[in-house]
Amino acid sequence: MHRNQALIFIRTNATLIALVVLAVLLALIDPTFPTARNLSNVARQVTIVGIIGVGMTMVILIAGIDLSVGSVVGVAAVVVTLLMQYGLAAWFAVPMALAIVGGIIGLWNGFWIAHYRIPPFIITLGMLTIGRGIALSLSGGSSVPVADPSFAALGSAYIPPAPTLALLALAAGIGAFRLIRSFRETGKSNGTALEERVPGIVAATAGLLLAAYVFGTSDGMPVPVAIFVAIAAIAIFVLGHTRFGRRLYALGGNEEAARLSGINVYQTKMIVYVVVSLLSALSGILLASRLNGASPNLGNMFELDAIAAVVIGGTSLSGGSGTIGGTIVGALIIGVLNNGMSLLGVSSFYQLIIKGLIISLAVWFDVLQKKN
Amino acid sequence: MRTPDVVLKMEHIVKEFAGVRALDDVTFEARAGEVLALMGENGAGKSTLMKVLGGVWPYPSYRGDIFIRGERRRFHSTREAMDAGIAIIHQELNLLAELTVAENIFLDRQPVTGFGAIDWHRMNDDAADLLGELGISDIKPTDRVKHIAVGKQQMVEIAKALSKHARILILDEPTSALSDKEVAELFRVIRKLRRDGVCMCYISHKMEEISQIADRVAVLRDGRTIGETTAVSDITMDQIIERMIGRELKEMYPHATRQRGERILEIKNLGIDHPSLPGARKVKDVSFSAYRGEILGISGLMGSGRTTLASAIFGAFPQATHGEVLVEGRSINIRSPADAIKHGIALLTEDRKALGLFLGQPITFNTTISSLQTVSSPPLGVIDQSEERALTERYIAQLGVKATGADAIVGTLSGGNQQKVLLARWLNASPKILILDEPTRGIDIGAKVEIHRLLNQLAEQGVAIIMISSELEEVLGMSDRILVMNEGRIVSEFSRANASREAVMESATGARRTEN
Repeated sequence: MHRNQALIFIRTNATLIALVVLAVLLALIDPTFPTARNLSNVARQVTIVGIIGVGMTMVILIAGIDLSVGSVVGVAAVVVTLLMQYGLAAWFAVPMALAIVGGIIGLWNGFWIAHYRIPPFIITLGMLTIGRGIALSLSGGSSVPVADPSFAALGSAYIPPAPTLALLALAAGIGAFRLIRSFRETGKSNGTALEERVPGIVAATAGLLLAAYVFGTSDGMPVPVAIFVAIAAIAIFVLGHTRFGRRLYALGGNEEAARLSGINVYQTKMIVYVVVSLLSALSGILLASRLNGASPNLGNMFELDAIAAVVIGGTSLSGGSGTIGGTIVGALIIGVLNNGMSLLGVSSFYQLIIKGLIISLAVWFDVLQKKN
Repeated sequence: MRTPDVVLKMEHIVKEFAGVRALDDVTFEARAGEVLALMGENGAGKSTLMKVLGGVWPYPSYRGDIFIRGERRRFHSTREAMDAGIAIIHQELNLLAELTVAENIFLDRQPVTGFGAIDWHRMNDDAADLLGELGISDIKPTDRVKHIAVGKQQMVEIAKALSKHARILILDEPTSALSDKEVAELFRVIRKLRRDGVCMCYISHKMEEISQIADRVAVLRDGRTIGETTAVSDITMDQIIERMIGRELKEMYPHATRQRGERILEIKNLGIDHPSLPGARKVKDVSFSAYRGEILGISGLMGSGRTTLASAIFGAFPQATHGEVLVEGRSINIRSPADAIKHGIALLTEDRKALGLFLGQPITFNTTISSLQTVSSPPLGVIDQSEERALTERYIAQLGVKATGADAIVGTLSGGNQQKVLLARWLNASPKILILDEPTRGIDIGAKVEIHRLLNQLAEQGVAIIMISSELEEVLGMSDRILVMNEGRIVSEFSRANASREAVMESATGARRTEN
């Protein structure tokens, strides 16, 4: 019985364990990996795929897919820099680009998928090509420089160490408070709750401590990381604790049953496809700010990394089950892997092969688990 | 009958799942040329027992012995069981809809020509021979399975079993999706196989079928065999039911006299376009009313338009629906199920797995999904999970759902308990009009009586209940008033007093046929 429990523990927390093992191995092999500066870099790199991954999780939860996210990144980056070229200030260009690019592309995808029931794979595959074409034609095929210097702050600035630590402490406080409250309420009727939640609690605590070390001893928390954390926190709350979240799980689990339960399928799909496009556009804008300019090829193949993060994180491609937390772990695995392989000097050709293998392994593992 | 020739014997079978005993010392035997009815409530262990026999749960995942013609066998795979002459016809048929009848019968065992290509000619001939043996003349080996009726599909399954020289045939609730005519044909085939010496284990809930077709009865309860296997002629139906549920059955259809209230739903000239035939109507010019505190039964054969009518009132086909719906005297426009729910209409769908439940989600999720406003607060719609749990636990207690807790995944529950969860969902939406499409199909008798009792309670509280059922006894026993549908029309209306089995059946078949 004891061995069984250990097996179940490993199975249900496999990705988390894989992340820890990967990180520990890298730290042992290469001493530059665990430095605060390097880890801060990893965190920043992860945010781009992570933000898209949050949206992608919602799409895949409703048994959909969005292949156009990478192209949306490119279009948004080009549009935000062009708007500034036309003289708009950064603070105005950013929401404009978000609304125009994320909003319109999301509505377009959502409309065809919800209204005409065109398979999302096809319609977003079309948008992948259309979007890239738009980015290339708007930019004339070459990079667009940033005209408003204040734009750089979005992608490159830091929240200084002191406020970062205060924020982390606040997050820890809120987490502890919610935990205590939920145990007061369910503790009596549900004895297994604590055991099931231990890995999550340990991971969150370790994550917070690590964040305190990484961001507290270097320049502070990069702004994109803060944005990602905020978005992920909102998404976790929405999926787990709101009516809208329930609608997503219902829709992905059984669309017809969801409709007959009184769920507005049309509206839900529209919202999800708009949200994923908005988040992809935000990623594009952050990337343009960080790179101080927009290449029309920005975001190429991001859809694959985003889908990989979601799948590695345990969300089922057939819909109805999955979590944002899993996707974050998935994105971290990809980020740590990329970083580690670069540090170790693995050729970028081999990096592709290894990444592909890991994605295949993750899906295989998912299939195995379903069988049991 | 000839001297009993025992071909199948299962002895002291024990099967555990994660510490729970699904089968606890089951022993029975079945003879060549007999139909042995295997009865028991859902969750009693019938399906598990048949899976052990069929090699789905391979040796040594169970304990005990299986003897085929006196020889001890241990099946490590379904293939081995099949080779020993055992075939299972599952409740949900295992046919490939896109392939032809012959291709399904000879799936993966197709006769081949000298070049290794499939010998289509011989395959179709062989299939035709098998169908001929069963006396089936109205389907061709080249028909695609998706184009033939469910009853015929079952015949294809049986032909497939015979093509593998099965001598022990297990029929798992074979009539649950069949019309009366199809049932008659199935029984004819079963009788023929019995004459040929095939041993059949017949799993069913339906008492009337058992008396018609079975020779002996074995009853399972909580994973144990209850009493000795008994000849059907030596036992009454009430005794079988008592063995199944472990207590005396007072009344299957508790009916209280009650006064109906004011009219709440009025349907005027409702027509529904046929989904696949342009210009044709699946439901034609239907008008009727439903009243508070009344159970309105809708009877009719399968395909008569009952389910389509119910779904259309619930807003499932807004584009295809014509006519007028009035709730409490006001004409309303229902464009989606969400609209219907807002107007106080609820529909418990016929197919609880495909159209009702979220099988991978817990009971809580399934209970509140149609009425999340009862456990959440505007404007963000944040769900109060402790409130949700408390509410779900109240329903679990009220409806007697057997589950480990409110967090139990619905897919792991038995059919009757799943149905209760679905019922809890609609109770929580507090409907004024509750439409139930086959509310007790495929669930055990204990749960059935409990659901009936609950429907009576709801009617007494003033809910208008519209109940569709294929089971004549249920319609007659529960309804205050009965509408009968035939080919998309309401052809007659009976009050409780003047409804009889014969009269309802006669108008449902649309003719004064005196068949059966």
